[in-house]
Amino acid sequence: MRKGLPLRILLFLFFAVLCILILIPFYAVALASFKPGEDLIRYGLNLRLDWSVMSLDNFVYLFTGSHSYFVWFFNSLLLTVVQVVLTLLVSATVAYGFSAYEFRGKNALFVCVLLIMMVPFEILLLPLYTLTHNLGLMNSYSAIVLPGIASAATIFFFRQYLRGVPKEIIAAGRVDGAHEYAIYVRLILPIMKPSFAAMAILNGMNSWNNFLWPFMVLSDANKYTLPIGLKTLLTPYGNNYDLLIVGSFFSIIPIFLLFVAFQKYFIDGMTAGAVKG
Amino acid sequence: MVKRFLYSQKVAPYVFVVPFVLVFLVFWVYPLGSSALMSFQKVTLGQEAAWVGLDNYDKLMGDGIFLKAVINSAIYMILTLAILIPFPMLFAVLINHKFMWAREFFKSSFFFPALTSVVVAGTIFRLMFGEMEGSLINSVLGWFGIEPLKFLKGQVMGFIALIALATWRWTGVNMLYFLAGLKNIPDEYYEAASIDGASPFQRFARITMPLLKPTTIYVLTISIYAGLAMFIESMMLWNGNNSPKNIGLTIVGYLYRQGIEKNNLGYAAAVGIVLLVITMVINLTQLAFTGMFKKED
Amino acid sequence: MKSKGLVLLIILSMVTFLWGCGKSTPASGGETSVLDGGAGESATELSYWTFVELHGQHFEKMLEKWNEANPDRQIKLNVTVMPYDDMHNKLSIAVQTGVGAPDIADIELGKYPDFMQGTPQLESLNDVAEPYQGTVVQSQLDLYSKEGTLYGLSTHVGATVAFYNTEVLEEAGVDYKTIVTWEDFKQAGIQVYEKTGKTMGTADTSATWQSSMLLAQQGADFTDDAGNPQVNSEALVKGLSMLKDLQDNNVITTIAGGQPDTEEAYGEYNSGNFVSAFMPLWQMSRYTNYMKDLSGKIAIAPLPVMEEGMPRSYGGGGTATVVSKTAKDVQLAKEFIAYAKLSLDANIEIWNTLGFDPINMDVWDMKDVTHNEDNQFVQYFVNNPFDVLNEIKDEIQLIKSVSASPTINNVLCTVTLNEIFEDGKDVKQALEDAQAQIEQELK
Repeated sequence: MRKGLPLRILLFLFFAVLCILILIPFYAVALASFKPGEDLIRYGLNLRLDWSVMSLDNFVYLFTGSHSYFVWFFNSLLLTVVQVVLTLLVSATVAYGFSAYEFRGKNALFVCVLLIMMVPFEILLLPLYTLTHNLGLMNSYSAIVLPGIASAATIFFFRQYLRGVPKEIIAAGRVDGAHEYAIYVRLILPIMKPSFAAMAILNGMNSWNNFLWPFMVLSDANKYTLPIGLKTLLTPYGNNYDLLIVGSFFSIIPIFLLFVAFQKYFIDGMTAGAVKG
Repeated sequence: MVKRFLYSQKVAPYVFVVPFVLVFLVFWVYPLGSSALMSFQKVTLGQEAAWVGLDNYDKLMGDGIFLKAVINSAIYMILTLAILIPFPMLFAVLINHKFMWAREFFKSSFFFPALTSVVVAGTIFRLMFGEMEGSLINSVLGWFGIEPLKFLKGQVMGFIALIALATWRWTGVNMLYFLAGLKNIPDEYYEAASIDGASPFQRFARITMPLLKPTTIYVLTISIYAGLAMFIESMMLWNGNNSPKNIGLTIVGYLYRQGIEKNNLGYAAAVGIVLLVITMVINLTQLAFTGMFKKED
Repeated sequence: MKSKGLVLLIILSMVTFLWGCGKSTPASGGETSVLDGGAGESATELSYWTFVELHGQHFEKMLEKWNEANPDRQIKLNVTVMPYDDMHNKLSIAVQTGVGAPDIADIELGKYPDFMQGTPQLESLNDVAEPYQGTVVQSQLDLYSKEGTLYGLSTHVGATVAFYNTEVLEEAGVDYKTIVTWEDFKQAGIQVYEKTGKTMGTADTSATWQSSMLLAQQGADFTDDAGNPQVNSEALVKGLSMLKDLQDNNVITTIAGGQPDTEEAYGEYNSGNFVSAFMPLWQMSRYTNYMKDLSGKIAIAPLPVMEEGMPRSYGGGGTATVVSKTAKDVQLAKEFIAYAKLSLDANIEIWNTLGFDPINMDVWDMKDVTHNEDNQFVQYFVNNPFDVLNEIKDEIQLIKSVSASPTINNVLCTVTLNEIFEDGKDVKQALEDAQAQIEQELK
């Protein structure tokens, strides 16, 4: 006799229905990626399974056609990797400074970290835009990476993590005669490794999907990231739906694979702020 | 000598935090300051800025479209709060139930929409909510004999699409936040409550809800922020920043329209400052009410 | 010490990467849209922004001819296609700040006044257009001039005509040739609706083609002679009230996308749900590109008018090609676009490739060009477009494009037309509100 079988089934059915609702848009896009763009324009995005119009043409076009999709894809990948590595290194270093030392102005500075977590970045768009322009950084990746390099949320997370690291390690390092930076690099960074995974995922996701600011900064089509490139396909004067839909579908795949492989870290990364908030 | 100085225990912390100080000064303090300054000027790219005092704010107060944008943003924020806090919390509790099958699978599929970029998700939803008879939502309504609706042309219908998009993308994420919060509640509390004969509902109301408070505050804070600053969702759903009758215009959308589309940077800066004030006031009140500041450290 | 060095190395290389990428040309990892048009190694590369991919195809053809004719001044064209709003926003900022602008760009008529404010930051094209004076329609040059200086080269006249789906009309027993006035159109539309259940036309909510057309027929405009908005004018109230009456009689309805020139509308038309469209002639290319099912079914005719004798067309829309002040080789860019837009060859190609009505009206009379059986547009349509164009040649009106125009357009297309045709708001009231809103925004 299995206890609570009706409840089990009820729960399962409830989530199954929700799950289907959530997956329908993906299914619709997957389906549309096999149909010609014309069909989409004419009948809309729908769930109609019509084998007569479905083919692999769009995928063939994606991989062999003459377009910039993979330039954008590569740019996004590159930018994401660079941004994640730099942000993690810089933010971890700052977080260590906050957690390992007592110094004048520390609390005031940390309040600043908390404050900028609350200021909508969008407010800064225009002044940042003029600043970037004055610095001669328009149309460069630096303009995208630099403002986020000391990410408040990431600093905050690392600092929380470092509070769990015993101060004795630092003291022991000093006794051994290591200088301050060596302690950080040789003793602390290795300990922080697990927290890096979660933050890498969180920052990676943000960076991969980042849109508004890069969109404003970049004007050279060869430098576009994937979301910007896909958006440029959204014009009635291009007949781009073949590429747009299959491209959108394909852009989800790498993230999906990463997600499946590192699911635990994704969830840790996403919830990092909430747990100890 | 220099090396000695740099390597001393007194100086080292400053070296560690200096990247933050630089970023903070260059990319936050300076832009915020110049934004505040610009809001008192008439600024047009390529021309000298001219001091106009409070003119921009004056004009803003009588600007019906700005008011529309503020109302839209506020309604969007309130609706997302009303949906994206209770439901994910409930789902988290249910999915955490010991009788749950395939928990990990469901958790993943709920989270999955968050992985798509707004550009992709917004486009998918724009097409799904198309007004054609064959578009996904309308074809489903057709099964129930409902005539096709023009979703993206009406205020209420447009918001349904907008909220659907937000719900689709964020339910899973918020659910994960609450699941993480649930992990921190010791099982003994529930066991004790069971012994006392508490009903499942009582357990939820007396134990789960209060102990999820820190998580709820966190979700509330980021939702307020995200709700008030929403822009790209609307831009993608209406394929541009000009929705019919401005039904999808948000505060940031108006900032973008004035600043980028109309090259009216001073006025746009004033919009930004107003948004900053609104966000800060709401968030600080919220945090004061929920007692975040009382908690030490 | 080793690990510290490694970290430093990584950081250093990243920083180098960042700065490097900021300055140098991008490492090309795949296909780019550089058209070389048979150009050799020494060719000058010019960048070109447009919002219509097809325009690039026209330039590609003209580029080949140019490179062949000018072996010592060859050009490669780096084409970037962006969505309408994004391209104009970026271009406006780039031109005003003098940073990041392309050498050559397309600007749509509706946005053009924004680029004409103050001292236009674009190159004067008077000298390169000079040789073509007299061969092209003067009004199309005036349209893109400010105080006697020409800044943009027009693509087409954009004569507005009516497109009818003859298959549906036959089914309903209507002959499109008998439609002369709006009253005729209304009766035909009622008959079509009763017999087939289909809608005769659209009530546009996101474009002003119809409003402009009705104003032009009455000899009116959105602005007065001084360029001040007057959207609450009697003429517009009368025009839109007439459309409203058509809507009330099921002759026209609103369409997905808000006007015939949107991707949603292409689908509706292709499925035969809408029978007619009143659009500038360039809508032809949308038919051939996106509405393939209608091939052999669409006839072109002059617009209906309010009263017989009123002018039956106006020049709608338009795209000007401009050269930015920061262009790499200003003179080369200017000469090339003059060649690619104004020369006789160019005008013939504009018809052949794009299906536009060229601004060199001599082409309109070249039977071998306009009636070429191999031409896809000739093949697609029931009758020859130039037969209609030549009939209305002297009736093509112009709607002014002034500094208030973008604001007028924006208010009408986002708010007013929606209120009238979607919400049923009183026409007079809606236009009064629009006038007030426009005046407030222009303050």
